Amino acid sequence: MADAIRIENLRKRFRLGFIPKSREILKGITFAVGEGEIFGYLGPNGAGKTTTIKCLLGLIHPDAGTITIFGRPYSSPRSREPLGFLPENPYFYDYLTAREFLAFTADLFGLGRGEKDERIARLLKLVGLERAADLPLRKYSRGMLQRAGLAQALVNDPRLVVLDEPLGGMDPIGRKEIRDIIVRFKDEGKTVFFTSHILQDIEMICDRVAIIVGGRIVKEGGLRDLVSEKVLFTEVTVAGLPPQTFAGLGESVSARGDRVLLKIYDEAKVDEVVGLVHDRKGRLIALSPRTETLEDIFVETVTRT
Amino acid sequence: MKIGAIAGITFKEAKRDRVLYLLFFFAALGIVASRVLAVLTVGDRIKIIKDVGLASISVFGVLMAILIGTGLVYKEIDKKTIYTLLAKPLHRSEFILGKFLGLVLTLLVMTAAMAVIFLAIVYAHTARVEGSLLVAVAYIFLELILITAVAVLFSSFSTPILSSLFALAFYLIGHLSWGLELIIKKMRPGTGKALVRALYLVLPDLENFNFKTEVVHGLPIPPAIYLSSFLYGVCYTAFILGLAVLIFRRRDFI
Amino acid sequence: MVKSGAAKRGSATGLLLAVLLASGAGIVTLKAATDRVVRKKLPGSSIIYIPSGKFLKYAAFGYRGLAADAIYIWAIQYYSTPAIDDRLDHFDHIFAIINELDPRFQDPYEVGAMIAVQEARDALERARDQALFSSLIRAAFAILDRGAANNPDQWVYPFDAGHIALMNLKDYPLAEKYFAQCMKIPGAPDFVERLRANAIFKKGDLKTSWETWLDIYKRAPDERTKKIASNHLYNVKATIDKEGLEGSAAKFRERFGRLPADLEALVRTGFIREVPRDLDGKDYLYDPATGKVKTVISPWRR
Repeated sequence: MADAIRIENLRKRFRLGFIPKSREILKGITFAVGEGEIFGYLGPNGAGKTTTIKCLLGLIHPDAGTITIFGRPYSSPRSREPLGFLPENPYFYDYLTAREFLAFTADLFGLGRGEKDERIARLLKLVGLERAADLPLRKYSRGMLQRAGLAQALVNDPRLVVLDEPLGGMDPIGRKEIRDIIVRFKDEGKTVFFTSHILQDIEMICDRVAIIVGGRIVKEGGLRDLVSEKVLFTEVTVAGLPPQTFAGLGESVSARGDRVLLKIYDEAKVDEVVGLVHDRKGRLIALSPRTETLEDIFVETVTRT
Repeated sequence: MKIGAIAGITFKEAKRDRVLYLLFFFAALGIVASRVLAVLTVGDRIKIIKDVGLASISVFGVLMAILIGTGLVYKEIDKKTIYTLLAKPLHRSEFILGKFLGLVLTLLVMTAAMAVIFLAIVYAHTARVEGSLLVAVAYIFLELILITAVAVLFSSFSTPILSSLFALAFYLIGHLSWGLELIIKKMRPGTGKALVRALYLVLPDLENFNFKTEVVHGLPIPPAIYLSSFLYGVCYTAFILGLAVLIFRRRDFI
Repeated sequence: MVKSGAAKRGSATGLLLAVLLASGAGIVTLKAATDRVVRKKLPGSSIIYIPSGKFLKYAAFGYRGLAADAIYIWAIQYYSTPAIDDRLDHFDHIFAIINELDPRFQDPYEVGAMIAVQEARDALERARDQALFSSLIRAAFAILDRGAANNPDQWVYPFDAGHIALMNLKDYPLAEKYFAQCMKIPGAPDFVERLRANAIFKKGDLKTSWETWLDIYKRAPDERTKKIASNHLYNVKATIDKEGLEGSAAKFRERFGRLPADLEALVRTGFIREVPRDLDGKDYLYDPATGKVKTVISPWRR
C-alpha cells in the first residue's frame, strides 16, 4: 500500500532576529503515514509539529530531506491535489460568503461548473451551514468558522486530510463530533493526519502515532504497540469499612464519608481485598484496573529527552 | 483558471476598499474643478480643463495603484489567509499574477469611470470627443499597470508603508529620466559615463507613457512611439512581475 | 514518470530566469528605440500656473535652495530654446522666484541679467521691437537691483547695471548712480571710479567731472593711473574750453556778422578775458572758417 505521506530526514533551520541567530527547528524528521490510517502527530509546544505540517504543505522550504505525498514530491503543487487542510485557527477572507468561499476553493482545484455547485451544496449541508451560506464570513461565530474550514478542506474530496489541532478549544460535544468525523473519513477510505494535545482523543481514534520532541521523532509506531496492556495499578472504591482494614494491602488514597479509595499495585492483592470486603460485609463500589495510557508514555518520553 | 479565480477575489476585495472611492471622489472633484478653474483663466479655457483632467486621472490613478497594491500581498500574509490558499495545488506564480490581474481589473474600472467624467466635461465644453484624449488616457493606464506591478513586487516582501515609499520612489525616478539624460550629455566619455548610461537604460522612463502635453497642445505624435512605448511597458511589467515571483517563491511562511 | 522535485523546481526557475532576461533585454532595447523617436517638446508651456516666489518659499518645505537650483537649471534650458516664442513674457517673474527662493544664489542674478540684455538686443536688432527691448532691459535692472539688495557685499551687480546703462541705454546719469553705488562696496576695482567720472563727463556735468578727475589724479596710486587721470583732465578742460570758445565765437558772429579771425579777437572784443591754453600749456587750434576749436593733440595720445 502506498504511503500517503513519506518524510525522510527533514531538516529546517530558522534565522530569526536582526542579528540572525539560527535555530534548528527540525533535526532530521523521518516517518511515514500509510494510506487509510488515522495518524496522530504529537509533541510539546515548540517541538516542530506545525513546522512539519508547513513543510508538507509547501509553505516552508526545508533545508534538507524529502517529503512525498502519495509519491509526489511536496515541491510540486500537484502533490496537493488530493490533500485537504484545516488550519488550527480559521483565517479566511471575511468579505466572502461561505458559498463564495467554497466556490473559490473549488476553482482553485479546477472543478467543473456542474460538479462545483453540486459539491458545494452537499458540503454546506454536511457541516450544517446551509442557512448561513450567504452571510459574509466575518459574521460567523468561531464554531461556524471551524465548520466552514472543514467544508473547504473537503471540497476536492481529498484522499488525505491534514488537520492542525482540530480538537483544540472545543467543548466535549464538539470534540466528539470531530472524532466521529475523523473516524468516518477512515471508513470512507481517506487517510487522516492530525496534530493534537488532547491525548485521550488520540488514544481513542488513532491507528499510529509519532511523538516529536525538540525537532526529533522520539517514538513512532502503532498505538497498540506503544501502549502496552500492562496494568499499572487497580483503583478500588469500598464503602462501609474503615481504611485501616486494608493496611498492608494497598495505599489508601482518600477516605470521604464512609467511602475509601484504594490504590493497589500488586495484582494478587486485589483478590485479597475483594475477599476481605466480602468477609467484613463491606460494599464494593468500584474496581478499575489502570493500564498504561498514552499520556504516561508521552510524559515519560518528554521528560526523558 | 486559477489565476482568474484569484484575480476575481482580489477584485472583490479591492472593490470594498474605501481608499479607492475616496481617491475616486477627489479625482472626480479635480476633473470637475477644472471646469471652474477654466473660468479664472484668460484665453484658452479648454487647455486647463484637459490639463487638470488628465493630471487628475494620472495622479489619483497612481495613488490608487500604490495604496491598494502595496497592501495586496502583505494583507494575505498578515491575516494568515495565505496559509489555506497556498495549501491548495497552486503555483506561487499563479498567486502573484492573480493578485496583479485583480488590481489591474479594478484600476481599469476606476480609470474608465474617471475617463467618462473627464470626456463628459470636455464634450460639454467643445461638443466633441477627441480620439487623442482617449489615447492619452490609455497610456496613462499602461503606466498604472506598471506601477501596480511595482507595488505588488514590494508588497511581496515588505510592509505597506515601506512598499508605498519604494513604489513612489520608482514613480519619481521614472519621471526624472530626462534629467539623467542631460547629465550624460555633459559628462566626459569614459567608464563613468558608460556606467551612468547603463543606469539610464535600466531605470524606468515613465515619460514614454506621457502623451498629455502633445494631446493638450494638439501636437502630432509620431506613430512609431505608440508601439515602442507599449512594448516597453509590457517588457518592464513582465520584468517586475518576474522579480516578484522570484522573490515570492523563496519565501517561508512561518 | 513524475519528474523529481528538484528537477521540476529547476526548470521552473530556468523559465523564470529566461523571462527575466528576455524582458530585461526588451526593456533596454525598447528604451533606446523610444529615445530615438523624436517627440515635440514644449517644456514649461504651462508656465502661467507658476505662483509667486513668496508662496513657493513655503511650498518648498525648507528645500528652498534645492528648489532654486532646480528652477534655475530648468530656466537655462527654457530660455535657450528659441522655438518657444512666448518664453520671454514672464522672464523677470521666473528669475524673481529663483532670487526669492535663494537670495544668496549668485549665478542667476548675473546670468539672468545677461540673458535679458542679450534678448533685448536681439529684439531691437532683428524685430525692431522697442517695447520688448525696454521691458527686458527693465527686467535686467530689476534682477541686478535685487542682487545688490540681497548681496550688499557683491560689487558686481551695480557694476553690471552701470555697464548696461552706459552701453545699452546710454543713460549716463543712471550709469553714474550705479558706478557710485559700486564704488562704495569694499573690494570694488579702482577703475569703477573712473567709469563714474567718465559717466559724469558724458552726462555733461563738466565741472563735477573736472573735480572728480582731479580727485582721482591726486589719489592716483601709480603712474599709469596718474596718466589716465591726467588725460581725462586734459579732455575735460579741453571740452570746457572748447565749449566756451565756440560759444563765444558764435556770439561774436551774432554781433559782428562774421566769425573772428583768431582767438585773440575774442579777447579784444571782450567776449573772453583771456585765451585759455590746454592742460599742457599748448594753444588750441582755431579754424576761422568754421569757428570750431580743436586740441593740438588727442587727449589719449599724450
